[in-house]
Amino acid sequence: MFMKSIHKIIITLLCAAAVAGCKKSFLDRPSNSQISSLNFYKTTSDLRLATASLYGGAQWFQWNTAAMIPIGDVLSGTGSFQYSNDIVQVFTRTITAQNGLVTNGWVGLYNVIGQCNGVINAIQTQADPSISAADKNAAIAEAKFVRAVAYYHLAIYWGAVPIIEDNSKLIKDPLLPRNIVSDVYKFVAKDLTFAAQNLPKTDEKGRVTTWSAQGMLGKVYLTMAGVGKSGSRDQALLDSAKKYAGNVCKNSNLNLLPSYYDLFKAQNNDNPESLFALQWAAGVGYGNGNAMQLYFAPSPDILPQKIGGWQALQPTYDLYRMYAAKDTVRRKATIMLNGDFYPELNAAGGGYKATGTGLKKHIIGNDKDNNSPTMDGWSSPEHNAILRLADVYLVYAEAILGNNSTTSDGDALTYFNKVRARAGVDIVTAITPASLRTERRVELAFEGQYWIDLVRYSYYDPSNAVQFLNDQDATHGRISFTYDPTTKKATRDTTATPITLPATVNSFTLPVPSSEVTTDPKLAQPPVPYY
Amino acid sequence: MDKNLQKRVKYQISLIIAGIFLYISAHAQTVNITGKITSSDDGQPIPGVSIKIKGTGLGTVSSIDGSYNIAAEPGKVLVFNFLGYSPREITIKQAGAINVTLNSTSSNLNEVVVIGYAKAPRKDLTGSISSISGASLRQTQPTTFDQALQGKVAGVVVQQVSGQPGGGVSIQIRGVSSITGSNAPLYVIDGIVIPPVGDPGNGSNPLNAINPSEIESVDVLKDASATAIYGSQATNGVVVVTTKRGKAGPPQISYDFYTGYQEIIKRLPTVDLPQFATFINARAVAWGFDARPEFANPQYLGPGTDWQKELFRKAPMMNHTLTINGGDARTQYLLSTSYFNQDGIALGSNFKRYSLRLNLDNKTTDWLKIGTSLQLAHINENVNSTSSSVISTALSITPDVPVLNGDGSFGGVTDPNGWVQPVANPVALAKIVKDQKRRNQIFGNVYAEIQLTKDLSLRNELSGNFDFNTEDRFSPTYSFGKGTPSPNFGSSAAGQNFYIVIRNFLTYNHNFKKFHIDALAGHESQENTFENVSGARRNFPSNNVQAINAGDASTATNSGDNSQSNPTGGSARESWFGRINFSWDDRYLLTGNIRDDGSSNFPTNNRWGTTYSGGFAWKINNEAFLKGVKSINELKLRLGYGLTNNQGIPGNTYVTQLASVTNGLAGTAQFQNNLSNQSVKWEKTDYYNAGIDASFWNGRLGFSLDVYDRETKDLLLQVPLPAYSGTVAGWGPGSMQAPYANVGSLTNKGFDFQINSTNITSKNFSWKTAFTISRNNNKVTYLGAGGTDANLSQKSYVINDIIEKTVVGQPVGEFYGYVFDGIFAKPSDLLNHARPADANGNPYPVSPAGGGIWYGDRMFKDLNGDGIIDSRDQTFLGSPIPKFQYGINNTFNYKNFDLNIFFSGSYGNKVFNQMAIQQNDPQNHTTYFTSVLDYAKLAMVDPAGSSSDVNNVYVTNPNTTIVGVRNDNTNSNNRPNSLMIEDGSFLRCKNITLGYRFSESLLSKIAVKSVRIYANVSNAFIITKYKGMDPEIGSWNPLQAGWDSGYYPQPRVFTIGANITLR
Repeated sequence: MFMKSIHKIIITLLCAAAVAGCKKSFLDRPSNSQISSLNFYKTTSDLRLATASLYGGAQWFQWNTAAMIPIGDVLSGTGSFQYSNDIVQVFTRTITAQNGLVTNGWVGLYNVIGQCNGVINAIQTQADPSISAADKNAAIAEAKFVRAVAYYHLAIYWGAVPIIEDNSKLIKDPLLPRNIVSDVYKFVAKDLTFAAQNLPKTDEKGRVTTWSAQGMLGKVYLTMAGVGKSGSRDQALLDSAKKYAGNVCKNSNLNLLPSYYDLFKAQNNDNPESLFALQWAAGVGYGNGNAMQLYFAPSPDILPQKIGGWQALQPTYDLYRMYAAKDTVRRKATIMLNGDFYPELNAAGGGYKATGTGLKKHIIGNDKDNNSPTMDGWSSPEHNAILRLADVYLVYAEAILGNNSTTSDGDALTYFNKVRARAGVDIVTAITPASLRTERRVELAFEGQYWIDLVRYSYYDPSNAVQFLNDQDATHGRISFTYDPTTKKATRDTTATPITLPATVNSFTLPVPSSEVTTDPKLAQPPVPYY
Repeated sequence: MDKNLQKRVKYQISLIIAGIFLYISAHAQTVNITGKITSSDDGQPIPGVSIKIKGTGLGTVSSIDGSYNIAAEPGKVLVFNFLGYSPREITIKQAGAINVTLNSTSSNLNEVVVIGYAKAPRKDLTGSISSISGASLRQTQPTTFDQALQGKVAGVVVQQVSGQPGGGVSIQIRGVSSITGSNAPLYVIDGIVIPPVGDPGNGSNPLNAINPSEIESVDVLKDASATAIYGSQATNGVVVVTTKRGKAGPPQISYDFYTGYQEIIKRLPTVDLPQFATFINARAVAWGFDARPEFANPQYLGPGTDWQKELFRKAPMMNHTLTINGGDARTQYLLSTSYFNQDGIALGSNFKRYSLRLNLDNKTTDWLKIGTSLQLAHINENVNSTSSSVISTALSITPDVPVLNGDGSFGGVTDPNGWVQPVANPVALAKIVKDQKRRNQIFGNVYAEIQLTKDLSLRNELSGNFDFNTEDRFSPTYSFGKGTPSPNFGSSAAGQNFYIVIRNFLTYNHNFKKFHIDALAGHESQENTFENVSGARRNFPSNNVQAINAGDASTATNSGDNSQSNPTGGSARESWFGRINFSWDDRYLLTGNIRDDGSSNFPTNNRWGTTYSGGFAWKINNEAFLKGVKSINELKLRLGYGLTNNQGIPGNTYVTQLASVTNGLAGTAQFQNNLSNQSVKWEKTDYYNAGIDASFWNGRLGFSLDVYDRETKDLLLQVPLPAYSGTVAGWGPGSMQAPYANVGSLTNKGFDFQINSTNITSKNFSWKTAFTISRNNNKVTYLGAGGTDANLSQKSYVINDIIEKTVVGQPVGEFYGYVFDGIFAKPSDLLNHARPADANGNPYPVSPAGGGIWYGDRMFKDLNGDGIIDSRDQTFLGSPIPKFQYGINNTFNYKNFDLNIFFSGSYGNKVFNQMAIQQNDPQNHTTYFTSVLDYAKLAMVDPAGSSSDVNNVYVTNPNTTIVGVRNDNTNSNNRPNSLMIEDGSFLRCKNITLGYRFSESLLSKIAVKSVRIYANVSNAFIITKYKGMDPEIGSWNPLQAGWDSGYYPQPRVFTIGANITLR
């Protein structure tokens, strides 16, 4: 009987020990593979790791893949594709609120903003006191720069959009109204001003500097100068544009890369001309990389594993007409014509000879061409530029041109002609609004810029901007063309001319995605001021 | 110490002494009783029957031959108890033999039910618990037991998520309470909690390791007074599975076997080649491009490829189970082994399960009982058909593509003159791609039960689920026409998940005169840990060498995670719990439960949550005024209330998780993976339940009715915020994971009703019917700030728009969109009917040109009457939640034949037929349903007139729903609308089984105890208006319920089988 009790007592005690064995920390289960925000932001290098993610990767994927070229170039009449619903709508300017590409643009830009807001707020509230104010501000400035770029594109595409500075506030109060477009630009300018003041003059390759911020600020002021104007632009804002863009032109010690053609090679990623380029890496898998080749390349033969060219874009006849006879370097670096030979594409296979018209810019070949074994269709290592020095030169020239119908200002001509001279075309002695638009279109074709230029135009001269779009239709400029290498003649594609109703001033504003309006009915209401 | 108290203590001490004296002296006045216990079923002796002298705690157990021997005082009552048999009480008159025949339990009155950490007779329950026997479960020949619950339990909505062999189902007990995708109940198998299931539809259902033929019973705990003892994990109910255990007696060997095949019930009406060519030709005329010269004369083309015919097959399946059970009074065992093999009806799917079970119980000493339940399973699944999406691909690829080219290579999409959507060859994918999942699972518990005193016992339990899994994938180099070509690539993954629970609890029970008490108190800690690693490479030199090592090392990628290092990851929970049951005079029963759970999922300050409940039952049939009424065997009223908590969110959502990512800058960057919510806390549900259980005429008629009201507050869910939040609930490239937050409140009110009746019973013939019906009314009552605009919306990526919306005042996840109003067919339609407007509210013009609305576009109702169609013209289009779910089971016995027919059905739910949208869209570039041939056809009043003059054009088939063949979609014809939402009501003949039991006299000659052979058809037919393959569509996400996006359909299954028991 006694022995029995001993056994029972021992077993009972063992059980009690098992219960007591549960330590207080038993319920602490942090992840082993991810850092928590609670134990980060302790050193300047932590801050640098946090801002590094804003330069490329997943949050840029949706906009870069689906929106930048479709909206920037196909919608503006530079690229053509008439199959497959979503891009047909973009091509024919009949975009509805269900359009997937437009949705991707919206979602993608707000993804970027969400990451920026997270970084800014974390640094402001959690950064270790031992980090210097300058380092904190520099990191915040990087994030504000990227955020400004995203809001700038939102304002260009949709006009009035909701401004969000702290995403976690949406948990309690998720439904926001749109903010008026002038306040969105004001917000962008404030972010960029902070960035211009707090970013260094130089930084490691790929990171933004004060010159990036000032160049972007010039471009934003140039845009803002026309908002709500009719006929002429706001001179004060034009002067601000001139000031910041001019500062970059004259004081940054940066220069154009001598060869336009080499500008788009991955080997020249982040060259001094690049003021802000997306920092893509190879081998990062679906949703994290630069997938432009996969969709838009003219042929799978030149791509990694020979996969891609799913929506091979063709240049429009309208774009082709913009190239002067001497403008061969830019033409060949931007679009392919039948018979063009590109030794650097699929070099191991003897190069690539184009068999039709197609896109060249962003097409950098396969993994071997780029010495990048992990490169695949979803991850081209090309760091495509969002802002480059040539763009700022042209912004500067346009800011000087301002409301005039022509200019022969020395500074304007200097920088305008730097762009032309590099391309190997004749320099000019006067600049007009039309010649500036053409120059920008040719220089920056398929870099997502032309739609931005047309929207800027529509702000202060809506009727001519509308006319401009309608002329593209009237002259069948939006259609693709064939090219005969022997006669060197381009023939407009006549099989199917897209007939689209005339553009109106509303054509310059994209519809907010229907899924967003259904989720947040306030988006359908008139926009409200933010400030 | 006051005198009174002293007196009382003295009195008590003397009572105890007297008791001990009585106990010792009992022997002196006893007589010896012997006897044999047999079963009324077959006259066989029953070993292991407990024989107790009522009111003393003394007793014995019958031996192997059923005999027993006990000494007892005349006038005392002997109580004979054995699981599965009705207990009997016999008063001792004199020394001698008392032979006893026990009746096996036929009515559920005497059933024993698992109530959480204990068992109780059904008649003593206060909570709402439904039970199904293993035999009833096996009638439908389920691959996994969860599939078999459908229609068998009132209040439980079971929906198949995937018909893939071994694929999972979604189970909701009494509606949606939480919206986090954790609506699944808690599964407890022999006391082992099965870790929560992520997305078992994808061919990794952890419940599929259990062989249904090993199941003794399944108990479904529904209301809070039943579930509270399981605490926070059980807020959506508990499914308790009990496996068979050994019975004392000579070894009994049984063998169950079945074999059969499965086939697809319905194929979708895709176009054949001449239809496809005719359509493409007509469209090319309208578009002005995309003509295909090879289609010039459709009438001379062959039928083309019927891809569904190529992909779906008659697929065999078979199962063998061998069970041995037996034991003596001290030790009982059950050893079972089984093999199951099922091919899927789609190429590229297969499920094999090898399992071994050992259940052992040993009464080591008179105060110690130990035992184990142990299961080893090996599962080998080919999940390629799901991972390669072959079914949806087969519904995308066009009929002009051959399965094989003339040279024997696989065919692919191609069009030398135009552009084609890059669709792969699904038959080729199913055949050449490998995706093999293997899993070894050790699953079991050990326990020791210590009888500390007569009334008090301590049970210690260690249980665990150890899962070791691998996945081996290889995709060879392929290229099918212009379809997506692919280089070869291989990947290999290995992982292990450990789930361990240590549980200690004390049980006390005591009988006072009229008063009975039993109580339970314990502690439990659970830990979930994992480790996994995977690697992948490309560029294998040959498609025949598939091990990772053979791939190009420079293309290698890898990933891995674990929770084993310090500090740990994974999740943990610690709980304290207690329960007390009082019963008075077998008339009034009272239950109280309390449990305190600490969860690692919440921030430190919100970590602990308390769950409690109370239940009351009144056994009216035991009241004096009903005692004499022999026709009423049971009449019981139950009332229950509880507060339950839910913690069903992933760990670490209260902090921002920074993931290491690579980009073009040097080093790794830190990407914010989620939008954190530091104030996330437990969700709470107030749960009220009332029920009546009744049984009449010795169980010939019985019913059970429950009504309930669940009110959930601080609803915990991953909030689907607008996309401008940079988050997505689910996954989207570059989007953060949406935050988990407590966003609102909702209620579930409803009833469950179950009735069983024996309609006819005679010597040779009997007919029994069981009917269950349940209804749940779900309503959202609060959704935080935002007032009437507040909503939780779910987007369909096929239409790129919201299709399901949850708002206050409506059920969770109502379909939402425009109301289809015919097509623009005549001039008055275009001139008078509201047209969609641009963002500025200007209606799009009437024109056949791009940017205009024209004949053949769809009209939508202008619900707000403002003359234009915009987002404000959307409305609720019905709910995916059934109004009723029901099951009807009829069992007939005639002599040695048995026939079972089981129907299950669902009424009043809507289905979003996402599969049909693209196939009915003339602008689509994949294949079509034949219905597309009825596209709106335009004609001119004056053929010489203008084709852009509104008054000169009309539609010749104005009643069609298919839009015209314009290359413009300004109208957004595929905006979410009522055409996409179909009635999903159905009545399914789930099962028909015909069996024959050989007569015992015949079998006795060959030493076989019993043989039953049977033939079975599962999913024999289905009656429904739904146009897709199968209206039964489960989902783990209630915000996204009822979406038919090309699920693996449930097959019709024919089987024949035998159950053999050796003597």
